[in-house]
Amino acid sequence: MNLVSTTRREFLHRASGGFGSVALSGLWSDLQAAPRNPLGARHGHHEAKADRVIFLYSTGGVSHIDTFNHRPQLAADHGKSVTASRWLNKSGEFRRYLIKPRWAFQQYGESGTWVSDLFPQLGSVIDDICVFNAMHCESDGHDKATLAAHTGSAQFARPSAGSWVSYGLGTENRNLPSFMVLAPAAPYAGAQTWGSDFLPGCHQGTQVVPGKNPLPNIRPRVARPELQKMELDLLARLNRAHRKTRAADQSLDARIRSFETAFGMQREAPEAFDLSGETEATLKLYGLERGATSGFGWQCLVARRLAERGVRFLELIDVGSNSNWDSHGNMADHARLAGAIDRPIAGLLTDLKQRGMLDRTLVVWTTEFGRTPFNTNANHAGREHHNFCFSSWMAGGGIRGGLVHGTSDEHGILADRDTVHTHDLNATMLHLLGIDHERLTYRHAGRDFRLTDVHGEVIHDVIA
Amino acid sequence: MRTLTITGILLLLASASSIEAADDNRDLFESRIRPLLIKHCLACHGPKKQESGLRLDSRAGWARGGERGTSIVPGKVRDSLLLKAVSHSDPSLKMPPAGKLSTNEIADLTKWVQLGAFDPRTLATGPPSPKRMSLEQAQDFWSLQPIASPAIPKVSDPDWRRGPIDAFVRERLQKRGLNPVGVADRRTLIRRATFDLTGLPPTPTEIAAFLKDDSPRAFGTVVKRLLASPAYGERWGRHWLDVARYADTAGDGADYPVREAYKYRDWVIGAFNHDMPFDQFVREQIAGDILARRTATDDPDRYASQVAATGFLAIGKRYGYKASPDYQYLDFADVIDSVGRSLLGLSLGCARCHDHKYDPVSAADYYALYGILQSTRWAFPGGEEQKRPAHFPPMVPPQQVAVLEKARAAELARLDTRLSSLKRRRVKLDSDWLAGGVDLGFESQKSGTRPGTPWVCAGPIEITNEAQSPFHHVHPQGSLGVRIGSGKPTDGLRYVFKDGLKAIPGQLMHFTVDFRSVAGSSEKGAFRFYLGRGVVQSLAVECSATATRFAIRNGRKWETIRRIIPGTWYTLRLTIDPAKKTYSGVVGTRDDLVTFQDKSVGRGWDGVANCFICDATGHVNGPACSRDLDNIGLQDEPFAAPGSQTVMLKTKVPGAAKQKIAIAKEIESLTGQRQARAAQSAYEVAYGVSEATPVNARIQLRGDPHRLGKETPRRFLEVLGGDQLPANATGSGRLELAGWITRRTNPLTARVFVNRVWRWHFGQGLVSTPSDFGARGERPSHPRLLDWLADRFIASGWSVKSLHRWIMDSHTYQLASDDDDHNLRIDPENRWYWRYARRPLDAESIRDAMLVLGGHLDRSVPQAHPFPPVHTWGFTIHHPFHAIYDSNHRSVYLMVQRNRRHPYLALFDAADPNQSVASRQPTTTPTQALYLMNSPFVHAQAEGLAKRLLSSHRDNETRVRVAFELAHGRLPASPQLKDAIAFVAGYQQKLSKSHVAPERNPAAWSALMRVLLTSNAFLYVD
Repeated sequence: MNLVSTTRREFLHRASGGFGSVALSGLWSDLQAAPRNPLGARHGHHEAKADRVIFLYSTGGVSHIDTFNHRPQLAADHGKSVTASRWLNKSGEFRRYLIKPRWAFQQYGESGTWVSDLFPQLGSVIDDICVFNAMHCESDGHDKATLAAHTGSAQFARPSAGSWVSYGLGTENRNLPSFMVLAPAAPYAGAQTWGSDFLPGCHQGTQVVPGKNPLPNIRPRVARPELQKMELDLLARLNRAHRKTRAADQSLDARIRSFETAFGMQREAPEAFDLSGETEATLKLYGLERGATSGFGWQCLVARRLAERGVRFLELIDVGSNSNWDSHGNMADHARLAGAIDRPIAGLLTDLKQRGMLDRTLVVWTTEFGRTPFNTNANHAGREHHNFCFSSWMAGGGIRGGLVHGTSDEHGILADRDTVHTHDLNATMLHLLGIDHERLTYRHAGRDFRLTDVHGEVIHDVIA
Repeated sequence: MRTLTITGILLLLASASSIEAADDNRDLFESRIRPLLIKHCLACHGPKKQESGLRLDSRAGWARGGERGTSIVPGKVRDSLLLKAVSHSDPSLKMPPAGKLSTNEIADLTKWVQLGAFDPRTLATGPPSPKRMSLEQAQDFWSLQPIASPAIPKVSDPDWRRGPIDAFVRERLQKRGLNPVGVADRRTLIRRATFDLTGLPPTPTEIAAFLKDDSPRAFGTVVKRLLASPAYGERWGRHWLDVARYADTAGDGADYPVREAYKYRDWVIGAFNHDMPFDQFVREQIAGDILARRTATDDPDRYASQVAATGFLAIGKRYGYKASPDYQYLDFADVIDSVGRSLLGLSLGCARCHDHKYDPVSAADYYALYGILQSTRWAFPGGEEQKRPAHFPPMVPPQQVAVLEKARAAELARLDTRLSSLKRRRVKLDSDWLAGGVDLGFESQKSGTRPGTPWVCAGPIEITNEAQSPFHHVHPQGSLGVRIGSGKPTDGLRYVFKDGLKAIPGQLMHFTVDFRSVAGSSEKGAFRFYLGRGVVQSLAVECSATATRFAIRNGRKWETIRRIIPGTWYTLRLTIDPAKKTYSGVVGTRDDLVTFQDKSVGRGWDGVANCFICDATGHVNGPACSRDLDNIGLQDEPFAAPGSQTVMLKTKVPGAAKQKIAIAKEIESLTGQRQARAAQSAYEVAYGVSEATPVNARIQLRGDPHRLGKETPRRFLEVLGGDQLPANATGSGRLELAGWITRRTNPLTARVFVNRVWRWHFGQGLVSTPSDFGARGERPSHPRLLDWLADRFIASGWSVKSLHRWIMDSHTYQLASDDDDHNLRIDPENRWYWRYARRPLDAESIRDAMLVLGGHLDRSVPQAHPFPPVHTWGFTIHHPFHAIYDSNHRSVYLMVQRNRRHPYLALFDAADPNQSVASRQPTTTPTQALYLMNSPFVHAQAEGLAKRLLSSHRDNETRVRVAFELAHGRLPASPQLKDAIAFVAGYQQKLSKSHVAPERNPAAWSALMRVLLTSNAFLYVD
């Protein structure tokens, strides 16, 4: 295993956060503390089942009982009362009324997994998906639960899962960041959700905002490429002369290379974002109109293109902190939101499979929490936050498809069998990438930190 | 009905206990209990982990129990915590956490306990052995030893005799077989010192002066000049702001802006510039408000600045949605951790949930400090639930607060009086304006309809001639009133007065309404009249009536005033005295009036009456009767007595229209004045803290604020003396805490700070973990040097500028940054200072240097950030505050947002304000290169620099020389000079295809400047 904890070696942070892996000179190669490129690709603790992650995050809290957790008894008991011990962040005894799901459920695929009519397209690829129906977490507030789902901590600033993966495994493409976030808007808790916090800054997520200009400063401001080339050539000559008397300083190299990479990125990144070469059939798969530069279909297709180009961890934010799945007022919103992601996600899974990439790409879908199976009256059109039971799923990358892991009580109120905490989900994700979540640590403020804090169990049952 | 909580589960247990019986205890244990414990409990309460200190893998383990005490009492179901835990009856103790055991499993456990909890397991299970340093061991730990005044080693090398720093460093170098490189040349030195102390490049004039100065004190002169520059505080203040986790927003989900945060920032910058003694710097940050009250009540500037200093405590990441103790434990976690790390180099935060795993810090220590914070009043920045700031401490002494508040109140009152008299004049000119508003008597509404604007109604309500009141002493005799049917409790009628009344000293408020319960009414419930501000926002007076009884509210009590008869009209007249917070009135018919006197208005009424409501939430529950209302009025003049002469419609005053326009204008301008004055605080406030009621905190078990352990008296860390507050202490304990932290005998404060200063000068601390001087931190490379610095620092009166001078005057500081193969092999990290470590410019230095070279830097101190006005704040986690404010001021003054980081500062690795940052971790990324290549900012600065050069110098060679000297601090070697000149010519030529001639020259020079401003010679400091 070669996951070295590097905190003490501040030198290393300076050496190169860039993507160009700096060749070790003879002088350095035999030194114990030889700097290594923190983003150089490397292996984890054990053989990996997946090489990369596409992490889909639906913001706001998706109702589990209206999507993946089929509870016929909830429909049967519609209007009956229950006593909830928590309501809107307060403890006590609250008489509440069960509300049946708004959408019918059907069984899909050979596995016969139940999926509601909100996700018919996902239903069609359900045999590749393992659904977790007994998810739970501590927080029923958006910002805290979002942070917990991303960083393992609801309270304190910690590195994001993508940063941990980048720190553990580096990246395969020096022309692109190792951790990229395709987000039309920030989720709750803002950019902290993809922050590297105490991990070296090169592991932080690079946000890409869907639109005509997804990466800032990617377009040359100089009139013609030949002029920019002229400037960069002079820059290289000056830097080389400067470097001559400073041979041992790797960070100067890293800076020089960062310009070369950036120059390459000016071409390669827009190229990754340029969908004009995609066939009609592919666009259709994602439900994308030709020329569109936004929407979840765009995010999914660009994610596939970035995955192909070796980006290690891709996070796709569904919607952001506004007008999202937080259907307090009216669950009907779920139809619009599901409609926007159902085909794109199914398309992504199908596309990855067709290209032989799904085997090595772990696709994760989750949300901060579920929604209450009950409300203040049975005719209430909305549902509130519910962190005691919700649904997530994983596909590809070493996951056994067609499985449903975990069950709740008959009304979807409490997760009761094979429960999965967000820590367990993260532990499993790292495990599939070849990383032991208890050994991927970073020394900070006198303590070795982990993504899973002191918790997390790998869910071996769902691994192929 | 299905029960998820306590009652249901207790029932379940009771029935379970009789389910089945095992004949034999051993059988029960082996067949049911042992597997159950293994399956559900031992992962966390067994040999590997002992959550809450509890082990369940032997009899002794559960008998001793964990933090909460014994977990099983054989034979006693009720006293056995284990059973309580598995029953999930206590929300704070639900085991196993992954999900409740099955009914049968719970029944088995219960049975087992009832039968005496047979357990053959005798495995030796002592408590987990503490790896934690004991208090005795701590006495031997290096950082907790008293600061020594070490002997200074003898050094023979004449270059290294500049002072003790060199002696300590040289001795170590020698011991390691390292040969230090030579000293840096003067151009390197002045660039190094200038960026180091001010974050800006030296000017050619400054370079020339230094090159010319051949006195042996030449470098000392440079350092002195730099230390005296205001730019010094802007640079070194920023270092401290990293440690202090400074941001301009609160960091809760909605990230509320903090308008006053900058006062703390400016205080820090000023403190560095004035060389405030560091112990005072610390004391003011922890207890400035208390110090101010004690020593500075007659020095307004000093008083204000000391209060602003407490921003250090308040400025951390906030978690709360409202100013409520419910969320404070998270805020306090940040404060305790930040204070520990920044001042003492101890990670106290770890002790929130349990005794520190490694350092001699206990949970009791943590909650002793917690009590001090809990005895403190915290400025609340605003949050999702409570969207307005609160509790910001005044920056003037209490006596002054009262005076200024009085003055402001008096000024507002003066404006109110003028406004009110203007409004009265306007009313007199208005022929259809009666009794406080247009058509309160419903006369212009249509019979048979619901009252329209400005009325708001819900439920069965109708304008009808049946509801015409017989009284006409307030409104002229009309033909219409309103009938409100018996509906839901919240149904009713509402009217917002356009000219509502506001409490003005010496002025009374008057209200009237005529009403009756409709004849034949038999409903038992009551309808009510609400008068106050807005829709039940602030209650002034409330009256209530059933079909037969009329009552009023006296403070909290309802008092029945009289009988009423359905079908009979009554008139009610109220007079409110806002100064006395009382009201009096009369209610009845012309011949049968009942009066009442001096009743209390609503508790907490804010003095505004602008809304009348009649609904059915009166003093008696149940459906209220139908009732008629008419002749409503609200004004600041008394109404005529019932039975006095009939009011006639006013006749039109000639010239009224013109006069009304003039009055309206005056009202408008006065209203504006009043709003502006009302928005202004009577005095300046700070984002800081003040004293609250002293309390001791109780330990929160495992950091859970709902699981409280024993009370901990407020005191200092045991390992640093454990001093308790004196018995007669009346304050929070912050003043004492400030004293404990800064006393000379505290071994940590001075050591930690001199190490920080060293780190900021050299890029690496003598202790390479500047915020961790504990067991898990690194040991010092030069312990005696560290002590010498700390000792001398204290002796100098904690003078930070002196510390800079000693360090910069050393040979060690003035070494070149050259490579040396031999040294690199032995000490690649330069731990022993055989050279000066080259460093990349940080985010602020890159931006500020570019701005100053581009001729765009604004050196003044900016005003407060242009946040949106506070009355518009409605930020939520769904719509958080977000802004980026462009400015050409120094980067330390940029608005630092906590949750959505400033894109430039984040890109170049500026401190993340979510926590105390000891060392920034510079990265080199292609996204930075993209910024340097393509951002409008870099292009603008390069263009500015090119313009300056073109206008100030004629020949290209001079231009290139000056440009290099400005950007890199040195002149170009001749190949570079030629290369640059050729570049400009070649670039111009290429431009001839696309640019007209006059544009080519500036464009080509801008291109050259871009290259110079993004080259390594600019971006790094040797």
